Amino acid sequence: MADHRLVVTEPPHLTSGESVRRAMLDVLLALGLVTLVSLYYFRWNAALLISVSLLTAVIVDLIAKRIKGRPLAFGDGSVLVTGLLVALCLPPLAGWWVAVFATALAVGVAKEWMGGLGWNRFNPAAFGRAGVILLWEVTVWLNQQLATLRLTFPVSPVVADAVTGATPLALLKRGLLDVSYGQLLVAYPGGALGETSAIALLAGGLYLVYRKHICWRVPAAMIGSVVVFSALFGSDPFYHVLTGGLLLGAFFMATDWVTSPITDRGKILFGVLIGLLVVVFRVFLASTESVVFSILIMNAFVPVIDRVTRRRKFGQVSLTRTA
Amino acid sequence: MTRRTFAGGVHVPEHKDATGQLPIEDLALPGEVFVPLLQHTGAPCRSLVEVGQRVLKGQKIGDADAFVTAPVHSPVTGTVKAVEERLIFNHRKVEGVAITTGPAADQAQTAFMEAVLEWQELKPEAIVRIVREAGLAGLGGAAFPTHVKLSPKDKRFDTLIINGCECEPFLTCDHRLLLERTEAIVTGILILKHVTGAGRVIVGIEDNKPDAIEAMKAAVSGHPGMAVEVLETRYPQGAEKQLIKALLNREVPPGGLPMDVGALVHNVGTAIAVAEAVTGGKPLIERVLTVGGPGIVRPANVRVAIGTPISDVIAHAGGLRDGVTRVVMGGPMTGWAQDDLSVPVVKGTSGILALDESLTGVAVAHEVCVRCGRCVQACPQLLYPNFLGTTAEHGDWSRAEAEGALDCVECGVCAYVCPGHRPLVRFVREAKAAIMARRK
Repeated sequence: MADHRLVVTEPPHLTSGESVRRAMLDVLLALGLVTLVSLYYFRWNAALLISVSLLTAVIVDLIAKRIKGRPLAFGDGSVLVTGLLVALCLPPLAGWWVAVFATALAVGVAKEWMGGLGWNRFNPAAFGRAGVILLWEVTVWLNQQLATLRLTFPVSPVVADAVTGATPLALLKRGLLDVSYGQLLVAYPGGALGETSAIALLAGGLYLVYRKHICWRVPAAMIGSVVVFSALFGSDPFYHVLTGGLLLGAFFMATDWVTSPITDRGKILFGVLIGLLVVVFRVFLASTESVVFSILIMNAFVPVIDRVTRRRKFGQVSLTRTA
Repeated sequence: MTRRTFAGGVHVPEHKDATGQLPIEDLALPGEVFVPLLQHTGAPCRSLVEVGQRVLKGQKIGDADAFVTAPVHSPVTGTVKAVEERLIFNHRKVEGVAITTGPAADQAQTAFMEAVLEWQELKPEAIVRIVREAGLAGLGGAAFPTHVKLSPKDKRFDTLIINGCECEPFLTCDHRLLLERTEAIVTGILILKHVTGAGRVIVGIEDNKPDAIEAMKAAVSGHPGMAVEVLETRYPQGAEKQLIKALLNREVPPGGLPMDVGALVHNVGTAIAVAEAVTGGKPLIERVLTVGGPGIVRPANVRVAIGTPISDVIAHAGGLRDGVTRVVMGGPMTGWAQDDLSVPVVKGTSGILALDESLTGVAVAHEVCVRCGRCVQACPQLLYPNFLGTTAEHGDWSRAEAEGALDCVECGVCAYVCPGHRPLVRFVREAKAAIMARRK
C-alpha cells in the first residue's frame, strides 16, 4: 500500500541547496560595497537614484507579470539586481526621471518584453543605460514635461553633460584630468555611481567568482583583452581598466548568466571581443559608454558563439556536429 | 598520495559516518520472499516452478533462453505461494515468484551448484557458464548480467577494473565488503583475471576509505599485475565510463561499451559473488546493502535475502523516524523513490535510504533555465544539460538527440547543482524514451 508521507520523484534525491534567489542575494551583497561607496560620495543623489531604480524595477516587473498572466511574486530577486545595476550605471547628477526611464527600459523592454528571465538576449542594465543615451531626445522631452509640473531640478548644461556621461576617462582624453593610478584604484568620483572605486568592484566581483556564481573566464578575458589592445594602440592600459565602468561591466554585466555564452571557450572569446570593442570605441571613436555598447553588441552574438565553441562530448574523438 | 579523477562532477556531502564503521549484520529470513523474474536490462525469465511446489535454497526458479538475461534462484527453502505480477522498485508490475519460507531447520537444505576449487583448470567459457547459472548481475546498482560483460564478441580486455569507489552518498556496503571480505575479493579477481585474460587488475577506491585502501593494498601485494589506485572522492567517480577515464585515461566512445577501450569494470560485490559462485557453488540469492539516512532509527549494513520486502529491512533498522518524506532504493543520486514499502530487495539494491526535506529540498515548481552554467561545469559526460533540458522541455526530440540525450548517464549532478530546481534527469529520460520510440 502506498504510504502518503512518501514523495515519489525522479532522482537525484539530494540537492545542493543553491537557488536563483540565493544567487541574486549574493549579487546584491557583492554590489554592497560599491553601493556604499557611491552613497558616501554622492549622498542624496545616489540614494535617490538607487531607490527610484529599485522601486521602478519592482513596479515594472509587477506590471509585466500581470500582463503576461504570470503569478505575482518577487520571486528570484533578479529584478532587484537589474534595478540596482541600472542605478549604478547612471551619472550621479542624473535626474530621478532618468532612473525611471532607464529602469523601465531595462526591466520592461530588455528583460520582460524580450523573453523574460532566461530568454532575454540583451543585458537589461546595459540596455537601460544605452537606451537613455540613444533616446536622449525622449529623456529631454520627459524632463521638460516634468519641469512644467515643477517636479524636477532645472536642467543646466552641466547636468546634461553629467547625464550623457563626462567620465574621468573622457576628461582624461581631453587632457583635462590628472589623476594617479592609486586614486582610481581606491576611489575617484566622477564617472557613474558604481564606477567610483575599482577596489570595491574587484572585491565584489571576486566574491562572486569565489561563490561560483560567475566564471572567472569572462572578466579575465575582458580585462586582459583591454590591457593588451590598449597597449597595442599606444594607450595607457591601467587607465582603461580602472575607468569608464570597465570593471563594473566586466564583473557584473558581461558575466550575466542569461546574456553571456555558456561554453568555456565561448566565455573567453566573448570577453576578448568585448575588450577589443571597448578599446576600439575609446581610442578611435571618442565614444563614451563604450563598455555598455560593447557588451550589448556582443550579447547579440552569444548564440553564434555558443554554437561554434562547443566542447566535444565525452568519448567523442572530434566535433562531428556543430549545429 | 596521488588521487586520480575525471573531468566534471561535484563533491556531494558523503554522509557515510553513520554506517562506515558498522560491521555487516545478517538479516533474519523474512516469512515470505518475492523474487521478480525481471530485475534488470534484458529479457524476463519465465518461472520454472508451480504454486505449491517445494523449493530449496539456491534452486533455480526462473530462466530464459535470451543471451542478455540472468536466471533467478530461491533465496529460501520453502513453498511456492504464487507466481504473479507485483509492484517492484521501478514502479512497474513485474511477474515474480512468491515463496513462503519454510521452518528454520529446513534452511540447511540447499540446492547449490557444484563447488569448483581447482577453477584454474577450467576453460574461461566454463567459468562464464557457472557465472550465468549462478544468476550473477552487477551488484553496484545497474544489475547488468555479469556473464554478458564477460563475453566480448571479438574484443580483448587488457585491464580489469574492480570498482570500490562507492561514490553515492550514504552507501557503505562496498566499504564494508572491502574490509570484511578482502580475501574473497582477491579470489574473485583471480577468477575474473583468468576468464578475461586481462594482464592488469586495478582496484579503484575513493580516498574517503583509507582503511579499505590499506586492507586491499595488503591483500593484493604479492599478486602480479594487481594494484590499488586511490581516487578523489568526487561524484560520480564510480560511474563506469568516468572510472575508466580516471584510471586509464581512456574514453568509452558515445554509444560504446568499456570493452571498446579494452577495459572491463566489475563492482567489488560482484567479484565476491563470482568467488562464491565458482568456489562455493552459491547462486546470487543474497546481497549486502546499507539501510540508512537520517530517517532510519538505527542505520546499518545488512546482508539480505533477495526478495525480502524493504519494510522488513527498515524494521530491522529500527523503523522510520517522523518527518521522512522520501524512501529511496539505491543511492540518493540515482536511486528510485518508493512509496510502497512492500517492494522486494533485488540484485541491484545497494541501499535503502530514508531522507527528509533537509536533504531532498522542499518540492517546488521548477524555474526556467537561467543559463548559470553550473550543470555544464558538473556534467561528467561533457554534455550541455541546460540545452538538453530546454529542448526536451519543449518536446524538441531531434534537438535533444543532437544534444546527446542518449549519451547521458543519468548521474544526476546537473539536477543536483541546478539553482532553478529543474528536473533535468526527468527531462532527459523523457527525451530518451521519445527518441527510442521514434527509432522503432
